[in-house]
Amino acid sequence: MEYKIEKKPAPGRDEVEVLGDTFEEGTPEGEELGKWRQKLDSREDKLRYLQSGERYWFSEEWFGSEKRKTPA
Amino acid sequence: MAEEKETKSIDQASIELIEKAAKDGVNTVFDRADAMKPCPIGSVGSCCKNCSMGPCRVPLPKGREETPEDKQKRRGVCGATAETIAARNFIRMVAGGAAAHSDHGRGVAELFLAVAKGKAPGYEIKDEQKLMQVALDWGIEIGDRSNNEIAVDIGEKALAEFGRQEGELITLRKAPLKRQELWRQQGVSPRGIDREIVEIMHRTHIGVDQDYKNLLKQGVRAAIGDGWGGSMIATELQDILFGTPAPVLGKANLGVLEKDKVNIIIHGHEPLLSEMIVAVAQEPEMIELAKSKGAKGINLSGMCCTANEILMRHGVAIAGNFLQQELAIVTGAVDAMVVDVQCIMQSIQTVAECYHTKIITTSPKAKIPGAVHIEFDEHDALKSAREIVKTAIENFPNRKGGVYIPGEPVNQIAGFSHETINYLLGGLFRASYRPLNDNIINGRIRGVAGVVGCNNARVKHNEGHVNMVKELIKNDVLVLTTGCNAIACAEAGLLVPEAAREFAGKGLAEVCETVGIPPVLHLGSCVDNSRILIAATAVVKDGGLGDDISELPVAGAAPEWMSEKAISIGQYFVASGVYTVFGVTWPTTGSKEVTDFLFKEMEEMYGGMWDFEPDPIRAAHLMIAHIDKKRKALGIDKARERVLYDMEMRRELDAV
Repeated sequence: MEYKIEKKPAPGRDEVEVLGDTFEEGTPEGEELGKWRQKLDSREDKLRYLQSGERYWFSEEWFGSEKRKTPA
Repeated sequence: MAEEKETKSIDQASIELIEKAAKDGVNTVFDRADAMKPCPIGSVGSCCKNCSMGPCRVPLPKGREETPEDKQKRRGVCGATAETIAARNFIRMVAGGAAAHSDHGRGVAELFLAVAKGKAPGYEIKDEQKLMQVALDWGIEIGDRSNNEIAVDIGEKALAEFGRQEGELITLRKAPLKRQELWRQQGVSPRGIDREIVEIMHRTHIGVDQDYKNLLKQGVRAAIGDGWGGSMIATELQDILFGTPAPVLGKANLGVLEKDKVNIIIHGHEPLLSEMIVAVAQEPEMIELAKSKGAKGINLSGMCCTANEILMRHGVAIAGNFLQQELAIVTGAVDAMVVDVQCIMQSIQTVAECYHTKIITTSPKAKIPGAVHIEFDEHDALKSAREIVKTAIENFPNRKGGVYIPGEPVNQIAGFSHETINYLLGGLFRASYRPLNDNIINGRIRGVAGVVGCNNARVKHNEGHVNMVKELIKNDVLVLTTGCNAIACAEAGLLVPEAAREFAGKGLAEVCETVGIPPVLHLGSCVDNSRILIAATAVVKDGGLGDDISELPVAGAAPEWMSEKAISIGQYFVASGVYTVFGVTWPTTGSKEVTDFLFKEMEEMYGGMWDFEPDPIRAAHLMIAHIDKKRKALGIDKARERVLYDMEMRRELDAV
């Protein structure tokens, strides 16, 4: 995400740069509403997500309840 | 005092429009259902019309038990027994349903391949991640290849699965390992999707397979080819092309129609054209054209499963489900109803002729006499979509008086694909079903039910759907829904997170509130029942609830079913190990042996079985009893004290 830098008055100084909000809006609007898959940018990110998030099918060393079973 | 007239629907807007139809002199499905009772012999599967020596009727004797002599006489002219006839009829229903879903899947695969080859302008691959997922599933090389190169391989492989002559479908690999092995042992792993359907038609031809168990076995094989094959291919490729659904806010009910706008209803099942209509309806030129005709804009809404498809991905409002298609036209506000395939009543054209609505058929597979036909050309989809939207706009000035749009739109949240449920429960860095499994194990969630299926004019519209789902969530059963059940639930206000507080049991409500989800999760259209299979498999694979779907505390139901597709869906759920209850009527009761096989013996073979209960509350209780049986078998039927181990206790463990 992009960091927001805000300028704020400070005691004894003119203005200082302060790091702004670093969270995503809780109520996104328009096209972004409810979407999450675009958070993964590159193909590498997507493949890595599949190995962890969809590990039930794609992880090489972890098979959930089937890990102790001989593959069919 | 005058007796209160029984209403035909639990939905107030529908009741008002049924009354308006009567005043307008319009004949609807509700009138026809009153005027024509179902054939008592055909409805129990005791009529065979598979050759011209018949039709042969082999009904059970009335008002008494069947004697061995009666049974001996219950044969068709060719000698086929009541069992053979009932089984033939049943698996022909499976074939019809599997064909419908799978031909939908084939259509998607054909378009997918055209898109991959750059021959379908207007479409693109929207979900690269799902493309990668399917490529991994199907063993297609990813490397540094472009999305289109990968997609060409996926499209070709998908199409080849329909005509595969040997081996087993590649999509079966998604199932739990134990289930795959069981299918192999039973000899029901499907080869090609088409092959299994064709084999049903062959084996039910006169003088071929005359062993009811052997016939029913082929029904299982074809149904698996539907749920784990044709339907799954449709869902996966649609996700790649149009995006994997994520939670989206939408509206439901006939009240979504707007008096001052051009109303276009997209009705049917396939999202291929409707995706383009959604895009075209937002084009400034089209909106300007609508304004030039006196309208304030264009209002798009959906009907039946097309509605679910465009809701899941775009939040387009749903006007109604199967039994509301004629009623939408009765409002007098629908300028065009665009239809493709499946669950489209021929009578909509007759109803439309009483108003100004144009019925626009778009598929070469599904035409209606009197309707306007604008054929959908996937190679120039935008052109087809623009012609359709223009036809609707130009029809706006032809509205007759008496526009009446009852009902207020109801909010709903849809878009719960397997991928999104996984993400919602675990987040981006550790997407997981663990919280669901943990809450099933600790008893907050008693179990999970898939409630799906159609409407049926033989029962009160939406009553079975809504009553069953309310009873399940009241008893802490999380409900996954698709199809017309999802629309009924939306109209009843069950698809919003607030419904958990109002309708769900304490345990389920706690979980829903924590995660921020409704107690009833909308997973999409009827081909998207494959998403329920994948979600059930993810629960198995996450662990702690057995090694197979048949061990899970889950159940399925279609309380208002009517189509052959519903029978195919039920059969593949049973074949996947799920106890499945249907309402309204049961099509094999003409044969006790066939019915017993489906209701009892299938459990020994597949771990799941059919059941029939027309009362939706009693049916929900049967499902809950089955869920409790599975909880007991897993040893999670009693609350257990959780012990937090301190270091000393841990050392004692290590010493053992």
